[in-house]
Amino acid sequence: MSIIELAEVRKTYPLGKTEVQAVKGVSFRIERGDFISIAGPSGSGKTTILNMIGLVDRPSGGEVLIEGKPTSKLADRELTTLRHETLGFIFQSFNLIPVLNVRENVEFPLLLGAKRQPRKEAAEWVDFLIEEVGLSDWKGHRSNELSGGQRQRVAIARALVTKPKIVLADEPTANLDSATGEQIIELMKKINRDLETTFIFSTHDAKIVDIADHVVRLRDGLVTENFRRERAGAEA
Amino acid sequence: MQTARLAFRNLSRQKRRSFLLGGAIAFGVMIVTLIDGFAGAFVDNVSENFSNLLAGHVFVEGVEKSPKGRDLDIIRDDAALREAAEAAGIEAKYVSRRSALQGSLKFAGRTASLAVQGVDFAAESFLAERLALASGSLDNLPRDGIVIPEPIADKLGVETGDRLLVTTRTYSGQQNVGEFAVAAVIKDPGILGSISAYATRDYVNELLDLAPDEYQALSFYLPSLSGMDEAGDRLHAEVSSRLQTFEREAPGAEGENPILAMMRGEDEETWTGVKYRVTTLNDALAQVQQIVDVLETASLVILLVLFLIIMVGITNTFRIIMYERIREIGTMRAVGMQRGQVRGLFLWEALFLALGGAVAGLAAASLVMLGVGLIDFGLDSPLFIILKNGHMSFRLDWASVALKVAIVAFLTLAAAFLPARSAAKLDPAVALRTAV
Ligand SMILES: Nc1ncnc2c1ncn2[C@@H]1O[C@H](COP(=O)(O)OP(=O)(O)O)[C@@H](O)[C@H]1O
Ligand SMILES: [Mg+2]
Repeated sequence: MSIIELAEVRKTYPLGKTEVQAVKGVSFRIERGDFISIAGPSGSGKTTILNMIGLVDRPSGGEVLIEGKPTSKLADRELTTLRHETLGFIFQSFNLIPVLNVRENVEFPLLLGAKRQPRKEAAEWVDFLIEEVGLSDWKGHRSNELSGGQRQRVAIARALVTKPKIVLADEPTANLDSATGEQIIELMKKINRDLETTFIFSTHDAKIVDIADHVVRLRDGLVTENFRRERAGAEA
Repeated sequence: MQTARLAFRNLSRQKRRSFLLGGAIAFGVMIVTLIDGFAGAFVDNVSENFSNLLAGHVFVEGVEKSPKGRDLDIIRDDAALREAAEAAGIEAKYVSRRSALQGSLKFAGRTASLAVQGVDFAAESFLAERLALASGSLDNLPRDGIVIPEPIADKLGVETGDRLLVTTRTYSGQQNVGEFAVAAVIKDPGILGSISAYATRDYVNELLDLAPDEYQALSFYLPSLSGMDEAGDRLHAEVSSRLQTFEREAPGAEGENPILAMMRGEDEETWTGVKYRVTTLNDALAQVQQIVDVLETASLVILLVLFLIIMVGITNTFRIIMYERIREIGTMRAVGMQRGQVRGLFLWEALFLALGGAVAGLAAASLVMLGVGLIDFGLDSPLFIILKNGHMSFRLDWASVALKVAIVAFLTLAAAFLPARSAAKLDPAVALRTAV
């Protein structure tokens, strides 16, 4: 069973009296452990698709299945819980909470759910993730004291803190210089290997697309290409 | 990081804005607290000052009709009143039996009018303790000795040892003349004290043409203000079973001044012998209580009006806050925050604002009370009756303070509720793509 399946997913936005077809019937599957790039030029529907996979937006038609389960009929509360337990998010503009320091930002999602981990275990996990993204010396700093690359590392740690099966990243490198952007993608790739987390990221940067082992290419709300690269160490 | 802690930190994001809103809340709370504190002490101070002035809490007066139908103040049957007081179980700290004349004192061509209280100094030892003397002494007071307030002494230009002429009327209205010897001068007695002097009851009775065992007003000074009405009722019942009495009217009945009502009533009726009236300090204070009620109502109305205005500000501010933090709200929703938690985040912030404002307002009110309390208005201030030893004083009822703080918190939460609900209802995808 695919971890994610899109079946004839469509999305239309109202625009004045007419509507815009942002996604026009898209179907593809994502497998457990994929490091998949949703590639395409600006306006091709990447954000719209990631939002629907991430359950923050609902398709106008078709179905998004997470671990085989259809999601279109779920209530807001159930979607929120599913997001919390199964998904992690990385944003283009980092979206850290400004009043919280690095450690608190990473810890934040842990404090939202109904289930609570033992305190000590949670603290060790948060510290491990901060170590993993190389910010051990910055735990007490707030986001306005960090560089863009550092902020995105915090966001990566935050996305992983609930041990999600899937992490979504909408153009995570768009606000970073290319060297930093590549480091961020490499970090995501490393975590994908180490923790076997499925990563789905969108980009319009061809160099970054090359790092992905599964590429879905979009144009005008339609899939134009969907292929896997066979690579040493990558799952098929 | 609980929702509450995050909300608390959010308050510090726009410090100026939080201070303005919190300051508005604090101002409202301060005003209301000051009014309440003033009203609380007002009734205490007025009662205290009245009871000192009137020498008691429960009073008995006797009224006799003259052949011409005039009311004459006289108590003739003290024995029956004593019995009645005992039967009523009046436990007084002090009891005073006084006569009083209204007269003109003359000295070296100067005149001053005042009331001279005829006091049994041996029985009213507490009076000697209370009167602060500028000169002279109350020991071995001669029969015609008089103790006058300092302003009168200054006005007449007399010193202890001087002799004064007094012209007055007897209890039945005849002209009479006498002579007093100034035995002592009372220091700074306050505005109402400065129109009364004290002399021996024997001599005042002589000038009033009363017998030595007669007098005009019986007062009981109770150990505490509570129970005064019950004591008055019991005494009235006991006096009524022995002597003729006036009806005892409920204090402040139908908003009418009970004393005026009684005065009006007695003109119409006539009787023979002495008729007794039992009153309490509360009868006199009924008007004061009405003022206090008005003040307390005013404070509640001010609270509500001020807070209606403040609430508009709170609602608008929280709407602005929602738009400022819209992407943050989207982010929190994406990572698993439920709608209710978003609403909670806003409401906690509003609650902290309200509580912070309330605490600051109470602190500010305390400082103002402390500051105003330090001002010495002097004992002869025209405000004398509402002051405590010449100082403004305040008394807060903590239950009422807690109630007001709860009202403030509730109104603030109500004002923040709609923006909080809008924030909770935001579609996370919309919130996330909204550029701020
Ligand atoms: N809220 C919206 N209202 C109207 N049109 C929208 C909205 N969001 C996206 N679109 C349109 O949908 C199309 C796809 O947008 P998007 O998914 O953001 O593409 P990408 O992320 O690849 O740049 C674009 O044509 C965009 O203009
Ligand atoms: Mg996009």
